[in-house]
Amino acid sequence: MSKQSQGLQDMNPSAMEGLTLTCGSPRSLLTAFDRTNTESAKIRAIEKSVVPWVNDQDVPFCPDCGSKFSIRNRRHHCRLCGSIMCKKCMELISLLLANKLTSASRDALSTHTSPNQSPGSVHGSRRGSIGSVSSMSSVLDEKENERIRCCRHCKDTLLRREQQMDEREHTPAITRLYEKLRLCMAKVDQKAPEYTRMAASLNAGETTYSLEQASDLRLEVQKMYELIDALSKKILTLGLNQDPPPHPTTLRLQRMIRYSATLFVQEKLLGLMSLPTKEQFEELKKKRKQDMERKRMLERQAAPESQCRLEDKQRGPAANGEVAPTRKAEGWLPLPETQGQREDPDPLLQQIHNIESFIKQAQAASRTDEVRTLGENLRQLQDEYDRQQTAKAIELSRRQAEEEALQCEQLQRLREREWERERERERKQAASLHSRTQALDSREAAPFLLEPSRGPRPHPAFALELGSSSGSGMAPETPSPCAVWALSQESLHQSTEPQQNDCALNSFSRDFFSSPAVVQAKLPREYNPFEEEEEEEEEAVAAGNPFTSPDSPAPNPFDSPAPNPFEDGNDVPNRSPASPPVPGNPFEEPTGTNPFEVDSDSCPEAEEPIEEDLLLQQINNIKAYIFDAKQYGRLDEVEVLTENLRELRCTLAKQKGPPE
Amino acid sequence: MNVVFAVKQYISKMIEDSGPGMKVLLMDKETTGIVSMVYTQSEILQKEVYLFERIDSQNREIMKHLKAICFLRPTKENVDYLIQELRRPKYSIYFIYFSNVISKSDVKSLAEADEQEVVAEVQEFYGDYIAVNPHLFSLNILGCCQGRNWDPAQLSRTTQGLTALLLSLKKCPVIRYQLSSEAAKTLAECVKQVISKEYELFEFRRTEVPPLLLILDRCDDAITPLLNQWTYQAMVHELLGIKNNRIDLSRVPGISKDLREVVLSAENDEFYANNMHLNFAEIGSNIKNLMEDFQKKKPKEQQKLESIADMKAFVENYPQFKKMSGTVSKHVTVVGELSRLVSERNLLEVSEVEQELACQNDHSSALQNVKRLLQNPKVTEFDAARLVMLYALHYERHSSNSLPGLLVDLRNKGVSEKYRKLVSAVVEYGGKRVRGSDLFSPKDAVAITKQFLKGLKGVENVYTQHQPFLHETLDHLIKGKLKESLYPYVGLSTLRDRPQDIIVFVIGGATYEEALTVYNLNCSTPGVRIVLGGTTVHNTKSFLEEVLASGLHSRSKESSQAISRSASRR
Repeated sequence: MSKQSQGLQDMNPSAMEGLTLTCGSPRSLLTAFDRTNTESAKIRAIEKSVVPWVNDQDVPFCPDCGSKFSIRNRRHHCRLCGSIMCKKCMELISLLLANKLTSASRDALSTHTSPNQSPGSVHGSRRGSIGSVSSMSSVLDEKENERIRCCRHCKDTLLRREQQMDEREHTPAITRLYEKLRLCMAKVDQKAPEYTRMAASLNAGETTYSLEQASDLRLEVQKMYELIDALSKKILTLGLNQDPPPHPTTLRLQRMIRYSATLFVQEKLLGLMSLPTKEQFEELKKKRKQDMERKRMLERQAAPESQCRLEDKQRGPAANGEVAPTRKAEGWLPLPETQGQREDPDPLLQQIHNIESFIKQAQAASRTDEVRTLGENLRQLQDEYDRQQTAKAIELSRRQAEEEALQCEQLQRLREREWERERERERKQAASLHSRTQALDSREAAPFLLEPSRGPRPHPAFALELGSSSGSGMAPETPSPCAVWALSQESLHQSTEPQQNDCALNSFSRDFFSSPAVVQAKLPREYNPFEEEEEEEEEAVAAGNPFTSPDSPAPNPFDSPAPNPFEDGNDVPNRSPASPPVPGNPFEEPTGTNPFEVDSDSCPEAEEPIEEDLLLQQINNIKAYIFDAKQYGRLDEVEVLTENLRELRCTLAKQKGPPE
Repeated sequence: MNVVFAVKQYISKMIEDSGPGMKVLLMDKETTGIVSMVYTQSEILQKEVYLFERIDSQNREIMKHLKAICFLRPTKENVDYLIQELRRPKYSIYFIYFSNVISKSDVKSLAEADEQEVVAEVQEFYGDYIAVNPHLFSLNILGCCQGRNWDPAQLSRTTQGLTALLLSLKKCPVIRYQLSSEAAKTLAECVKQVISKEYELFEFRRTEVPPLLLILDRCDDAITPLLNQWTYQAMVHELLGIKNNRIDLSRVPGISKDLREVVLSAENDEFYANNMHLNFAEIGSNIKNLMEDFQKKKPKEQQKLESIADMKAFVENYPQFKKMSGTVSKHVTVVGELSRLVSERNLLEVSEVEQELACQNDHSSALQNVKRLLQNPKVTEFDAARLVMLYALHYERHSSNSLPGLLVDLRNKGVSEKYRKLVSAVVEYGGKRVRGSDLFSPKDAVAITKQFLKGLKGVENVYTQHQPFLHETLDHLIKGKLKESLYPYVGLSTLRDRPQDIIVFVIGGATYEEALTVYNLNCSTPGVRIVLGGTTVHNTKSFLEEVLASGLHSRSKESSQAISRSASRR
């Protein structure tokens, strides 16, 4: 008895061990028992062989309730661990449950074999063992309605096991969605770098990849993003309208997943370079070709300088011809100061200046990809210019060296002659004078040396002249009306104080109705440096703390809607019914308002799919920002974003509505 | 020898080991701080860790679709919580990491609790300290000593923290300690004991010159934590208080809701990383540059989106702008508040006198200046008290010591009893009687000439002329000149060569000024790598709390009387 009770006390911690330890052995038993017949005596024998039964004499009292065993209160053996209990404490396991438990554990059995088990140690640890259940249930298979007799402890363990199995099989909705989400993210991680490589190559005007291929890939990646967005949103709203609302932790989990998906989209999506349009691509290709040609030409320029000069002459206007279309297409105007005031001697230099001014404009308009391409062009031009200069310098020095060599030769000859003369004199004169005359000689030779060395100098001067002449060859190009406007605008901008500018602008906006060209010229002004705001900023700083709350409305100069004079100018034409663009849809006539879009909008058919795509993407992004902003309770930001979103949606609807 | 990197790597490894799937990070109070110092939320989110839970929080929901990563200190309570957790597992699978050595019996009881076989891994990852800067760590213990001796609980925590640091940096050091401090000796012996007990863990690849652990006591230099600071990180801590990289700005007048608490972490904030060691004037100009840069990038928020290109620009710039606006507004707010406090509390003038008290030996001028400032109504009671403390420490045994007079002045100024008592407590804590080395008067010929030259040339910046005593100690240590009579070795092993890898630990807390010194030493001495640690990182306020907690003030009455008596006798 004492042994048994000890076993029971041990039982709790070791029950779990039993589950695993005994799993291995019953395999052989099982097959053996399947073949045996089912007579009750034999069943008893089999039952006893599954687990050794505790001796009746050892247990005078029920270990669970403490009642004394007698004729009336009979002993029952647990078929799973062999221990003894009274009828009241006895539990039964249905075959259904037993089958369920064993069917799962049979898989486990095949992987889980621990044969080195001494049968003696089984005794205490058999409790709740799946091994026992499986051997018992297989024995009882043919006896319908039969249930397995077992003790309470075994049943508890089995029920817990069942629960665990259920949990393992059941995958909640969130897991399924989440797995899909991760799959998408992995795909993006894989595809996005590929696309970036393509886009970079295309934007450089290379023809390694085709434009269609790249835009397909872009579309694919964007679809992934949409999917990620949709999935994470689904996760976010999971079970929100269930009757017992989900546990706050669940909600927190869903929010966090959504937040991390938003972060992912933000980080990766915004790294996606935009593709050039077909026209731009052609342009880029042309440019690259020209660049390559020019490079080749430069290589040829290592030839004599006269030829180089000739080429320069030819190339001067040609180069200008190259610039002109790009300029028109891109919509950037060279800053007038380069044309009017600074005449660069070299066409290349001129071009460099032009591009620099383009970049400035593009930067002001914060069109970063254009800035990037322009920057690349600039770099190439600068490299070329450097190379040209070094080539020139090398050429020059070579010539100089040649001439110098020539002079040296002459000098040498002269000296030799002198020597001869000297020697003759020497013969006549005393030897002591010798050294002095020599010194004198060398002094004599010095001016001679100097003179011819001046020889090559005129060359650069000549080149300069040439350069300027070719530069002026560019000047006659009649500036477009736009350029004139820009020029006057620029000079106005330079001469007047910001406040005066304000007034000037107002008059412009009034002018708008009469001449759309004014607006065209005016708009770039919007992108000029923030002089006004900077002033405000400084004041604010002096006052104390301008940033205390960048997102709260009151003390933040960035948020204050009032003092943007340019915007007012813009709004007037849009709101006014008399203005040519239809109010509410800024996209229908972007040509009227935005000089930079001339090119892309002149062929809307080619642009359409990408634009719509972009719109969708933009909408999604802005939604993400709204979500983000809401999460941090920045309501004013939410408002601005929501407005943007509404506009975008409106546009999208319009674009979609009338298909042609 | 980069503690931030070491801890970060541990955390990354933990997360990676658990494989893909949604994860929850289960931590205790201390490990939460340890993790938050090296990882931001968005960073850790990208590694699929979506929930952060405390092991001791009771109402966690059962979420079987989550994996749990447990990062816990191996304390008794944590093991108990974990046993409960494993009996009724709330998550599908558990990856358990202890931040220090865990006993075999604890592992066994955990295994017994794991009835449902949910534990996938149990490991020790020695990230058991707060990594503040790459070369600075803290244990966030305030009040480590009772009187002159260790609080036993804190001693064991400090030993654990220090040994974990050694393990995470893979160093098995030779140990030296400050002879004048009983606490330093005790700690040194405890660390040595752990090293010899866990010798298997400490078997690292031998370097030619073994690393060195130097254990110091704050008592030896009570001046440094009493000074106002003018470099960014130190200044922020002194005036606003940095707690686990977080700064509470809620008391700043007119603060907006989302700036109530800001995080300054060099790991994720480039501006902070570049400026944390610069002085206040330089930061002013850098902030200006930052703002100008910001203005260039900021999109016009009210701008209507007229075209696709506008939209594109807006969307592309928006997150960048938002990130930048966060940085800008944070630093401008912090620096603005600093400069407000500086002018409000008249700190420039106060700091000048503080520096004079700390670095020069002109008693009459110092006394005059302190008296003058005590009359100034703009000087707060806190600053007044600290001036008197500095005076008391420096001129403790001066023949014409007029501390009693200054204490009267303090009372007249209306400085509270608490601060006046603290003056004598500080002297008791770090006075001459306790100090093992001389803080104020130079000892050797070189130092005397140095000081003489300094006097001739004048100082470039009056506010930053003070060099913490640690600088001299480390300088001697690097040159192999640190006296063995003052800083003996533990055990038989001694260092013959000049040390290369040095870990300095200050019982009673290090300061950011000392961290800066260590940073500069690391930069200026090639081949030497120093890591500084302390039971905490002090500013004046927390240092005074430390002094208060040590309980020395109770005896201070008699001793201050003794001081005044001895002074009057002379």
